[in-house]
Formats: sequence, structure tokens, C-alpha cells
Amino acid sequence: MSFLIDEGRNIQHLLMGNEAIVRGALEAGVNVAAGYPGTPSSEIIETLSKVARDRNLYVEWSTNEKVAVEVAAAASFAGLRSLCVMKQNGVNVASDFLLHLASSGTRGGMVLVTCDDPGALSSVNEGESRLFAQILEIPLLEPGDFQEAKDIIPWAFALSEKIRNVVMVRSVTRLSHGSGNVRFGSLPGTSAQAEFVCHGPLLDPETGPIISMILAAPELQHGPQQEKLKKAAGIFETCPFNTYQGPDEPELLIVTASICSLYSREAVRILGLEDRVGILKLAATWPLPERLVKKHLAAAKRILFVEEVVPTLEDHVKVIAAEAAGEIGAKTFYGKKSGHLPSVGELNPDLVLDALARIFPAAAGTRPAASPGGVTDIPQRFTPARGMTFCPGCPHRASYWSIHNALALDGRGGFVCGDIGCYVMGTLPAGFSTVKTLHCMGSGSGVASGFGKLRSFGMDQPVVAVCGDSTFFHAAMPALANAIHQRSPFTMILLDNRGTAMTGFQPHPGSPTNVLGDEAPALDMEKICRSMGAKVEISDPFDLVKTREKLNRLLEYGEGAKVLILRQACALSPEKRGQRKYEVSVDAERCRGENCGCSRLCTRIFGCPGLVWDREKEVSRIDEMICAGCGVCADICPAGAIVRKEVAR
Amino acid sequence: MNHFGSGELETAVIQSELCIGCGACVRLCPYFDSYRGKTALLFPCAVEKGRCFAYCPKIEVDLDAITRFLHGKPYDGNPLGHHRGIFIARAGEKVRKQSFQAGGTVTALMVYAFRSGNIRGAVLTNRKGLLPEPRFVTRSADVYRASLSKYTAAPTLSALNEALDKGHGNLGVVGTPCQVTAVSQMRMNPMDKPGFKDPTALVVGLFCTWALDFRRFETFLAGEVPLEKIVKIDIPPPPAQVLEVYLEDGKREFPLDRIRPLVPDTCGYCPDMTAEFADVSVGVLEGRGDRNTLIVRTERGERIAREAEEKGFLVLEEMPRENLEHLQWAAGNKKKRGFLRSREAGKVNGEPGKTLFRLAPECLDGVFQDR
Ligand SMILES: Cc1cc2nc3c(=O)[nH]c(=O)nc-3n(C[C@H](O)[C@H](O)[C@H](O)COP(=O)(O)OP(=O)(O)OC[C@H]3O[C@@H](n4cnc5c(N)ncnc54)[C@H](O)[C@@H]3O)c2cc1C
Ligand code: SF4
Ligand code: SF4
Ligand code: SF4
Repeated sequence: MSFLIDEGRNIQHLLMGNEAIVRGALEAGVNVAAGYPGTPSSEIIETLSKVARDRNLYVEWSTNEKVAVEVAAAASFAGLRSLCVMKQNGVNVASDFLLHLASSGTRGGMVLVTCDDPGALSSVNEGESRLFAQILEIPLLEPGDFQEAKDIIPWAFALSEKIRNVVMVRSVTRLSHGSGNVRFGSLPGTSAQAEFVCHGPLLDPETGPIISMILAAPELQHGPQQEKLKKAAGIFETCPFNTYQGPDEPELLIVTASICSLYSREAVRILGLEDRVGILKLAATWPLPERLVKKHLAAAKRILFVEEVVPTLEDHVKVIAAEAAGEIGAKTFYGKKSGHLPSVGELNPDLVLDALARIFPAAAGTRPAASPGGVTDIPQRFTPARGMTFCPGCPHRASYWSIHNALALDGRGGFVCGDIGCYVMGTLPAGFSTVKTLHCMGSGSGVASGFGKLRSFGMDQPVVAVCGDSTFFHAAMPALANAIHQRSPFTMILLDNRGTAMTGFQPHPGSPTNVLGDEAPALDMEKICRSMGAKVEISDPFDLVKTREKLNRLLEYGEGAKVLILRQACALSPEKRGQRKYEVSVDAERCRGENCGCSRLCTRIFGCPGLVWDREKEVSRIDEMICAGCGVCADICPAGAIVRKEVAR
Repeated sequence: MNHFGSGELETAVIQSELCIGCGACVRLCPYFDSYRGKTALLFPCAVEKGRCFAYCPKIEVDLDAITRFLHGKPYDGNPLGHHRGIFIARAGEKVRKQSFQAGGTVTALMVYAFRSGNIRGAVLTNRKGLLPEPRFVTRSADVYRASLSKYTAAPTLSALNEALDKGHGNLGVVGTPCQVTAVSQMRMNPMDKPGFKDPTALVVGLFCTWALDFRRFETFLAGEVPLEKIVKIDIPPPPAQVLEVYLEDGKREFPLDRIRPLVPDTCGYCPDMTAEFADVSVGVLEGRGDRNTLIVRTERGERIAREAEEKGFLVLEEMPRENLEHLQWAAGNKKKRGFLRSREAGKVNGEPGKTLFRLAPECLDGVFQDR
């Protein structure tokens, strides 16, 4: 049994931020949780699924984030407490429904947890979900440490029920994936009764239907929605997670939130500025508690904003300052706009230190000499400089090899529209730089569908889209439907590696099990594509010759959308892990190395980390510790020098 | 010799649309491959001086060096190339009766060369549908299957590279003039490989005014005839100006004016109509579609042709002088056109690595002044 459902009050546990969020949800008595995997959010649903039976929860990995919010909303409509979880890009996907949900309102407490990824450590962009809270006109909370990550969740549920609307809680990578001590609270009972009361009058929030307004009467719904937001702002004035630390009249006021509050404290401490600098750490960041903010602004002349990604705190606090200027006087502001802090990428204590040192030049001398390149530089200096690449034995490397070669042989300037998954690396030499467009989930196929229709403008380049199995269900199916219906002649390549590999093998609608590990109907992508009307081929990407041939034939096949399913489980999949199919070795006698006839194809171009170039002997060899035993490299070696022997079982 | 690598080959030949797709750079290494008549560089190779560049007949072809290597004298611009004799030829009674392009001389020579042990393997060109297919064969029975001309350029020499990689020697090769040029460059051991031995024993060249681009030809024909019913394609010698497509159930003719646009641009730079660097060259006898013109060029070519005649594989007749006039005129014309075009593009004795041909300037002048 997981310690996360430990009854004991007041005991401390070392928790990852995402686990703290889970414990918070459990203490809040959450009943239903749904999400779509995405780093850094994935552990929340996974961890909840492990205690689902014990705590009588319904937990699911949904097909996409929009569906996840819809599933969670249903629970709320039926009076339960529900949680939906995603990474920031997921909020984009869910935003359509969210906009309507925010206007229809909720019943049981409903909390949307989004884990943002400043610095885009595992994302294709460092999108910003805080701005959504404004667009959606819903309250936003940002925990500043691990204890708060837990404590803020029950508080958010309570708030949601008070204002009858969804509440957004935003974490960031360093909080979700960092760990700290968390003191537990108590767990409620596990019985819950669901009923959707919906037969009352149209506009009755307690008993009526829950609809997004159908009449041109914004005052009926938008008005009440804004009232809810005002109510939240009032509650935020006394939110226990907004804290201030420092002198009554600081020389500089730092306004910060989230993980940046830790960086701020650290920097102030290192420079010994505790008596001169005050830190207003806000957890309720939209709508801002105006009175609280004004009070602190009044006490300081200079203000520094410490926040990541888009300067939203900065903007909103400045508005308050402007409105209150007559009362509190003019202020000097530092932050992203003044250039004291960078406007892209993650922050860290060093960057805050730099900003403080510019504002307090005299204090800069107290900066410890021990960190010349900065505190956070150290780990980076010890990580080897190596290009990003696919794992040893990864089917994507083999797939891209064949895609690249098929397009090169086809010779009409064909290209690949990329999509989201490990296979984004198709843009890099790891994937032979085959991918030429890359945006969001499902967009590869949509963009390809559009390219396919440009033939009438003289574009005869073959168009290919890659798409993972999970991405297929998430958002690529509508694009495929579009392409088929519009007769767009593109080739969709389904990189079917049997799971949502990038984020840790969460099941998707094509999987035979659900998040609890129970048997679930697996949707058959091949049948789906066929019945949608596509011409479908299947190949094992490890069979390089057949895969290339099939793809070339599809590229030539003129009309309509075509699908090539490349099926091979991920090298890290549970079914493959630690199991080598082949014992692979290089015959040094036959290896042509750098000579005419090879020019180190395996180590220079193919690039599996399992192959290494022996500079001294001028031959390639297998690094047995790394080689996953897929044996694909034996098929690319022109000299037959890479030898594979099936491992006896 | 100016010698470079795959990168220069790709820019100066493939990207400049000079590549004819002969296959000389294919299967030497994993970098070049051929697909439906087109050669592509798959990945950049880091070797600075490669065989691909050295063998390619569309870059840095040193005509003097080749002629010296084959005949011990410089290139002189003779329209028909260096030769020891010219004959009217056809297959003899020892050769199985079947469909040949013309007199079956090529098939007859190859079959004999196998039977006599002169060659142990042959590099030929079959077809799969309309697509020409390089073939390495080791039995005379397989020579018959490769008969008939495929009028599209073919990556035939990839099969030669494959055979050499496997260590085969004593090979017969049948190819168009550009292919034969590539073969002669291979035979010269441009990489100075120690212990190198000429792997060829008989190189048979085909006359060629131009070849067709496979992809364009296929698209064209697909709109005209059922491709799977084609049994033979022919371009009868002048004065006819047609391409004939024999179908299982009839024949279609297309005026050459409709076919010429399907010729790749690179053929316009080519100065060689009669495969001057072969041991023997074979074309269709003008005025007699069932006979061949056979040009004998080297000692070993002459020996094998004579033996084949003696053993009943080949029937040879002296070629009357006056019959040669038109051939000479046509070959001379192609030579002038090819050199003129190449010179205009700065590709005769031009920049290293970007030049098509090298030859003595006086000789070039001679070609232009001829007649
Ligand atoms: C592209 C092309 C253009 C030609 N142009 C002319 C011309 O303008 N004037 C002229 O007199 N003759 C030309 N010929 C030659 C002619 O068509 C006959 O091949 C030649 O006369 C030999 O006839 P045969 O009866 O001996 O051939 P067969 O005994 O039928 O044997 C034909 C041989 O040609 C080889 N071959 C077929 N297609 C190709 C190809 N695409 N590339 C390389 N080898 C191939 C086969 O391997 C086979 O061995 C051309 C041939 C080709 C392939
Ligand atoms: S591909 Fe083969 S020949 Fe080339 S370096 Fe690697 S092992 Fe050696
Ligand atoms: S077999 Fe080759 S390609 Fe596969 S993991 Fe080992 S080194 Fe890499
Ligand atoms: S060798 Fe032949 S196939 Fe290769 S680039 Fe030259 S002409 Fe093209």
C-alpha cells in the first residue's frame, strides 16, 4: 500500500511535488481524476491510479486533455470532487471546452492542475498556462513549495465549491519533479454518491441543466461568471498561501510566485539582504488580491518581479500601481521588461542574484566566490556534451532511416511533417533531419493534409506525416478524416511503438489495458484507418528494406490519403526491457571504417549509441553495455562487418 | 587526374542534372542508390577522393588518359573511335532462336564468351515491367533473358559493383557509351589499389544516340498503352522517325518528335555514339533491322569475335565502305554537338571537379573542323 494513503496526521514524508499534489487531492477527498500524459505532469495521474482502489477513485488516462477535462467536469456536475491534470500544452487543447465550462460553472469542486515547463526542458515550447486563467476568467493558484503543493489543493477544491467554478492550480517542472518534506493532514472517508440533478429551471445553478449559454444574452451567464471571479479575488485577500517576509519598509520589494519564491529567498540570503529586501510571495496570482498588493507596494519604492516565462505578475501589479499611484506614489520597477531578468528560459538563484547585484551594487561583493559560473552551472559542466538522440534499439531511428532514404530515392523533394512524441527528434541528425514542420499534437497530419492539396499550385513534393500511436487518438484522427474526405494525397506514417513512450508508457485507446492495469478494449488503428477509407500498409521498421520499399510504393500511389503503420515496440517498453534479441558484434577485419566504401556509416550517420568508433584501431565496435540488441545496424553495414547472432532463450 | 568525393559528384553531376543514372557510383558504398532510374546521394560521405567520382562518366573524363590506357595512343576525335574492323553481324546457328533487338550479336557474343570460358559472369540489363533491371548472371542461359534493348537509361553498373564487391572477376559487361566510359575508368584503377587486376574480360558497347528518362517515359507510355502488354520497343534506323511499341496484340508507333522531350538533358553533352571505349561495339545495321553493325576495337574483342564466328555463334560479313558513310556522319554529328554543348557550359578542359571532358585542345578543334 502506498504511503500516500497513510492515515497518520502530522507525519512528514519526503515527497516529489507531484506526489504532494496527489496527497493534497486525497486529503480533499477527490473522487474522479483524468488527464493526458505530458512531462512534467504525468506522475500525478499515475500515482493516483495506484491508490485508486483503496481510495475508491475513478482514474483514467483520457484520449486527450479536452476529453480529460470533460470527464472531470461530468463528475463535478454530478456533485463529486474531480481533478484534471495536464501539462501546459494540454491546456491549449482543453481550452475550448474550458472556456465553455468556465461560463456554465461547476457543482462539485473541480481543480485543473497544469504543470508548466519553463525552459521547455521536455516540451517543444515554454508555453504559459497562467494567461489562460485570464482568458477563461477563472481563479489561479500557484504553490511556492512542496508543503504548499499539497495544502493548496484542498483549499482550491473549497474555493471551487464556494464560487461554483473550476479553479486552476499551476505547478512547474522544478516543483513537480523536485522533492521536499511535506507534513500530512488527515484523509476523509471514501464514500461518495453521484447524481446529476438537472431537471430544474434553465438558469438554476443548483438544479438546472448545465449549459454554455445558447442565447445572445451575456448578462445571464458572463455576468455571474465575473461575479464569481470577484468573489475569488475577495477570498484571495486572505489566502493563507500569500506570504510576506522582510522588513516593514523594505528598500526593495520582490514580488514573486511559484518556485521563483525559493530562488528569491536563496538569492537574498546569499547577499545578506534580509534586512533590506522584502519578499511578497503570492500564491493567488489571478485575480490578484488588490488590497494586499497595494499595501505592500505602498511600503517600498522599488519593486523587482521574479517570475518565469511571460511577465504576467509584472503586468498586473503594474496596473494596480498605476491605479493607486496617487495614493502610494511613483515606483521604480525591475523585472523582465527592465532587462534585469531574462524573458525566456527558467530562472534560478543565480539569475536572481545577478538582478539583485545590479540593484544593490555594494552588496554584490558578498556574493560567494565559490560559484564563478553560477550555482546551477555545476551539474551542467559534468554532463557530457552530446547531441540528443534516440535510445539504443529505438524503432524511431530505424523508421526515420527508411523514411529518409525513401524520400531521397523518390527524388521529388519530399518532406515529413512532424508531430509530438520522442520522434520530434526527426528534426535533428538523430532522425536524419527528415522532419521539416513541427508544431503541436496532431498537427503534423493536419499540415500534411493541407500540403497535399497544393498540387493544383504546382507543388509535386511528396508529403509525409509521422504520428505516434497515442498522438493518433489524441488529435490526428480528425486530420486524417479531413485528408481522406478532401482526397489529399499524403502518406501518414503511424509510428506504433505500443504505448505513450515519451512520457512513460501510459496506456491509450489502442492499449489492451487501462491505467489500473485492467483489461480494456484496444482500438485497432489499422482497422480504423481502413474503415475511414485510407489505403493501409503495415511494416516492421526493423525490416529496413521492406519498409523502404513499401513507403516508396505509397509515395508513388497517386490519389488520396495513405497510411503506413510501422509497428515495433519501444526499446524501453516493459516487454523489451533488458531483453536482447541479438548478440551484436563488429568483425574488425571486415570493417571498412573511414575508407571509401563506408566512411563510418554506422557511427557517423546511423548514430545508435550502441556503436562506437575506436579511434586507435580505426574500426567500429559495439558497446555491449549500451547495445539493446535490436540488430538493425547489421543491415546497414555495407561490409557485413556488423554481425548479429540470435540470443538463445 | 582531378579526383574528388561524393559531395562534388552530387553538386557537379546529380544536382546539375548531368547524371544519366548509369549506376557506376551505386553499390560501392551505402551512400549512392538508384531508384526508378534516378540516382540519389542518401547521406553525405566524408571520403575526399572516392571511387564514385572517379568512375562517373559525367565528370572529369580524361579522354586522352582512357585512350592511352586502352590503345596506347592519344584520343584523336575519330567519329567512330579507335577500331580494328567493322562488320555486318548477326547471331549464328549455335545461338538459340528467339527475339533479339536486331541481329542478336550482343547475346551471341556473351553466350559464346561464357561457353568458351572467356568470361565467368556478365553484367546485363533485364527489365521488370518497363523498369530496366541491372543483372549479374553467371550462366549463358541467363544471357538470353536479358536480350532486347530497354531504351531508358539504366543503373546497370550497380550490378557490376555488386559483383566486384563479392570478388567476381573475368566479367563480361554490356552497356551504353556512358556506361562503357565508366567501366574503362574502373579498369584504370583510379584509387591505385595494390594488386589490382582488370576485372573485365569483354566489354560490349551499344550504339546510342540518346537514352530516355525512365520516369518521364513511363508517365508518357502509361497514358498511351497498357504497360503490362509491352513485349518489345524499337527505334528502327533512319530514315524512319518513330519509336515502335510492340504489344501482345499489336503495335503502336510514336513519332520521335513526341519522344525526344523525354530524353534527359545530359545526353546532349555526350560526344560518344558508338561506345568508343568498349572491346567491341554493336548497333543496328542501317537499312537492315535484323542485322547489326559490329565495330571491333581491341585485340581481345577481335579474338573473341573471330572465335565466336569460327564456332558458329556469330556470322560476320565485311562492311562495304559506302555503308559506313551515314554512320560516320551521324557519329561525327553527335560528337560535335556533345563537345559544343559541353564547351559552351565551360565543361571541356574547365575548372577541376566541374569539368566533363579533358582532351587535347588541338583535337577538339579538329572535331569542330571535321567536314
Ligand atoms: C538506350 C539505347 C539506345 C540505343 N540507341 C541506338 C542507336 O541510336 N543506334 C543504334 O544503331 N543502336 C542503338 N542501340 C543499340 C540497339 O538497340 C541494340 O541494342 C544493339 O543493336 C544490339 O542488338 P542485338 O540484337 O545484338 O541485342 P540483343 O542480343 O537483343 O541484346 C541486347 C543487350 O542490350 C543490353 N541492354 C538492353 N537495354 C540496355 C540498357 N538500357 N542499358 C544497357 N544495356 C542494355 C542487354 O543487357 C542485352 O545484353 C541502343 C540501345 C540502347 C539500350
Ligand atoms: S558500417 Fe560496417 S564497415 Fe562501416 S564503419 Fe560501421 S561496422 Fe565498419
Ligand atoms: S544492435 Fe546495433 S542498432 Fe541495435 S542497439 Fe545494438 S548497436 Fe544499436
Ligand atoms: S556514376 Fe552514373 S549514376 Fe552516378 S552520378 Fe555519375 S552518371 Fe549518375
